[in-house]
Amino acid sequence: MLLSLLLPLWASASASEPAAASSSAQALITALGQPAPAHTAFAEARFLQVLARPLVVSGQLSWLGGDQLQRRVDHPQQETATIANGEVTQQRVGKSPRHFSLKRAPQLQVLLDSFVALLSGDAGRLQQAFEIRQTGDAAAAWTLTLLPRDAKVAKTVASITIDGYAKESRCMHMQEADGDLAIDLLGALAAKMPAQPTREALQALCQGTP
Amino acid sequence: MRRGARATLLIAWLLVLAGLGWMVSQRLKISTDLRSFMPAPTTPDQRLLMEQVGDGPGSRLLLLSISGQSDAQLAALSQGLATALKNDKRYSQILNGSFDLGALDASLLPYRYLLSPTLDTQPLDEAYLADQLQQRLDDLSSPAASLLKGLLPRDPTLEVLKLAELWAPAKSPEVREGVWFSPQNEALLLVQTVAAGFDPGAQQRAIDGIQQAFHALPGSAGAKLELSGPGYFSVVVGAQTRHQADWIGRISTVGFIALLLLAYRSFSSLLLSALPIASAALAGIAALTVAFSEVHGITLAFGFTLLGVAQEYPIRVLSHRRAGEDAVQSVRALWPLLLTAIASACIAYLAFYASGVNGLKQLAVFTIVGLLVAGFSTRYLLSHLLPVRVRDVADMRWLAKARAFVDRLPRPRWIPLVVALAIVLMLAFARGSFWQNNLAALTPLPQDMLQHDARLREALGAPDVRYLLVLQASSEQGVLALSEQLQSQVDALVAKHAVDALELPSRYLPTVALQQARQQKLPDRATLQQSLHEALQGLPFRPDLFQSFLDDVQAARALPPLTPERYAQTPLGQRLAAMLVQRDGHWLGLGTISGVHDVAALQALGENSHGTVRLLDLKAASESLVVDYRTRILQALLIAAVLLVLTITISLRSLRRAWHVLAPMTLATFLVLAVERVAGVEISLFHLVALILAGGLGLHYALFFERDTGDPAEQRRTLHATIVCVLSALLVFGMLAWATIPVLRAIGLTVSLGVAFHFCLSILMAPHASED
Repeated sequence: MLLSLLLPLWASASASEPAAASSSAQALITALGQPAPAHTAFAEARFLQVLARPLVVSGQLSWLGGDQLQRRVDHPQQETATIANGEVTQQRVGKSPRHFSLKRAPQLQVLLDSFVALLSGDAGRLQQAFEIRQTGDAAAAWTLTLLPRDAKVAKTVASITIDGYAKESRCMHMQEADGDLAIDLLGALAAKMPAQPTREALQALCQGTP
Repeated sequence: MRRGARATLLIAWLLVLAGLGWMVSQRLKISTDLRSFMPAPTTPDQRLLMEQVGDGPGSRLLLLSISGQSDAQLAALSQGLATALKNDKRYSQILNGSFDLGALDASLLPYRYLLSPTLDTQPLDEAYLADQLQQRLDDLSSPAASLLKGLLPRDPTLEVLKLAELWAPAKSPEVREGVWFSPQNEALLLVQTVAAGFDPGAQQRAIDGIQQAFHALPGSAGAKLELSGPGYFSVVVGAQTRHQADWIGRISTVGFIALLLLAYRSFSSLLLSALPIASAALAGIAALTVAFSEVHGITLAFGFTLLGVAQEYPIRVLSHRRAGEDAVQSVRALWPLLLTAIASACIAYLAFYASGVNGLKQLAVFTIVGLLVAGFSTRYLLSHLLPVRVRDVADMRWLAKARAFVDRLPRPRWIPLVVALAIVLMLAFARGSFWQNNLAALTPLPQDMLQHDARLREALGAPDVRYLLVLQASSEQGVLALSEQLQSQVDALVAKHAVDALELPSRYLPTVALQQARQQKLPDRATLQQSLHEALQGLPFRPDLFQSFLDDVQAARALPPLTPERYAQTPLGQRLAAMLVQRDGHWLGLGTISGVHDVAALQALGENSHGTVRLLDLKAASESLVVDYRTRILQALLIAAVLLVLTITISLRSLRRAWHVLAPMTLATFLVLAVERVAGVEISLFHLVALILAGGLGLHYALFFERDTGDPAEQRRTLHATIVCVLSALLVFGMLAWATIPVLRAIGLTVSLGVAFHFCLSILMAPHASED
């Protein structure tokens, strides 16, 4: 009798703990894992308020193992950004490298957390940094929505959405709190970046089937 | 004197003392500033030193390190501390390596075009804007985008960042987690205090503020904050010296009381005989507060040391009392000799008053007033208060034996010769330099603290405290102009690694002329708008994005040039104010130097400048100041010696008797010097002051031993008094000789040795009773 009264209480208490990702989301994330180093082509469109039209760059993203991430831009201009040991090093052709702390670029921290976790299939890590929501079918088209848990990070990055199909991530949207948005097309999809992208066109690309 | 009258006298005396104490507590203002104790500087370098000792930008710098936690936590603490201190009036600059876009006060933002060197080489035209905007576009597509997004509309050419880079220390430590880190994983910060570096009181408050702010931060419990820098050192040294002096003082006070109780077996005598010393100290300080607006801490420390002589007066009276005899009668018999001793000491100290050095003048006033008050209160007050019934020390058996032993001692006439020869030999063979000119060597810092400081200084590229580049001109603007001219030569020196960095005042504020020249180069609104419009062609920026940029350039064209006064409202202006000093109708600019590798190359900067540019070596200047100071003391001592000879000879009315008093005293003084030199001690100002005290005590011993009354009982009493005096002095100063702080050891060792030598020599050189 007493137990039956207590059980619902206990159940609701455990529900208010940091919501554990559903087991299907965990399975999905684990399935996405690859051994380091992992490389993937990307094409990014940034929709910024300061710009009248989006900024498009493309290149290759690499996870070098551990907390090391490299973002190489090939078009329109060569540039490599490397994240290692909490520091970002930015190298441009003909310029001396610039260094700054990861702390100063919360988007990068988010990118690092989400990317490394996704590429390594580390669901636990992803869950530490984000509240995770999954929609769609893990075997076909799915969407993971990541909401930063750190209030300071959330002030800059509102959410990250990853669209995928089966065991492949296809798109990554980073919605910044000030309204700016970056959409990265990943892998094979990167080649399909239109010359004059719009949010809607990219959205359609991401949610289509391969 | 009847009981009632005695009680009245005692109460009246205590009331006067209480009154003096109240007056002192109301009026006494103690200055801890080393400068007020120093002699008036004579050379320009010395004068600059006196200002720099307290006010120089280098001496106001505190170096902070935070360690003991993960990098991320340390970085958070560093940021938290910097934020907490930023709005505190006690600090003029806080640097922790974080990208400080707020370096320029928000109200001064349009001034960035007048402060940044961009316009000197680069007009704000279409080509430049197009290039800059293309770069910003690249920035926006890079991971650094979020750093710049907010800045872009107002400052597309990133002048604010250029200024932040210009004002960052030339040689910055590694930046991790957004803040400076040392190779030893400590987060590093630089804090410049508003308070002068050598004002330990104000520095203590500044340091307390930092520590409070740190401990209030969340997560500070497990981390360790360490400080370094001249201001912190002055606080530490002061506290250490006081602490050691205090506990040694407590032990020797207990010993002193025990000794006097043992010698006189009377509590009331002991308590009463403390009154003349207390009166002397209070009257001395009261006289100082009347004659001077501020009393220096060192004056008081030296003064209390020298006042040790006054201890002798009550002791002499207590030892020379006969059973049943009124104390007044005993004093009366003793008084002529005591008066001679007091008068000769006072006359000798007059020489210090004539030295013209403020600290020594204060010392003279304090000791002369103190000695007179102690002597006269012993004679006219204490003698009426002492209880009637006492033991006669002359009846003590051990004393009779001791006196007999002393009388049997051979007193060959060649003793002075042998001692003098020994002194000459010891002085001749002593190694090392005779004088210690480095005052800092007397209050040395623990080795690990110095190493920590050197390490932080190296890591932070913080300026050297020793060297300064001094620029001189008739006006503030003149100094800034000179500084601008010098910049290229300085850059060349840095490139040659003659010096790691040299920070000139113009780095923080260009001359009005240069600002106006930059202003002239700013395009008017229509032109700029046109260039911007053309530069934006083909770029994706929103066309109306840069309104605030246009507004700022427009505003900058009409701004009155920034002057140091207007600038002083902001933290950076405070930083500049520390580098610009007005003096005697002209202005000085102070360039701070870090990592000096080639002093000659730095000195060469001043060549052909006709004295407008020169390298100031603060260490050399301070040592020359100490030499000057010592010269003044030695001159005063010479005059004092002449006065002493005259006073003693006149009061004893015999050259031969004067010889018996003065010869042992002189020999003993030089013997102390010689022994210390042979032991490798370098003589400092503190040794000299201690020698003077020992000389004063020695004068008493010699005077009393020389006094031959022909009465064996009186001779025994003299011996008793002298032994008590010698033992008490040995106890107090012998304890000090064990101190680990050299300044305390210097005083303790010198006085102890002095007392011992004076005692022995005045016995051995006293005339035999049979001679008279």
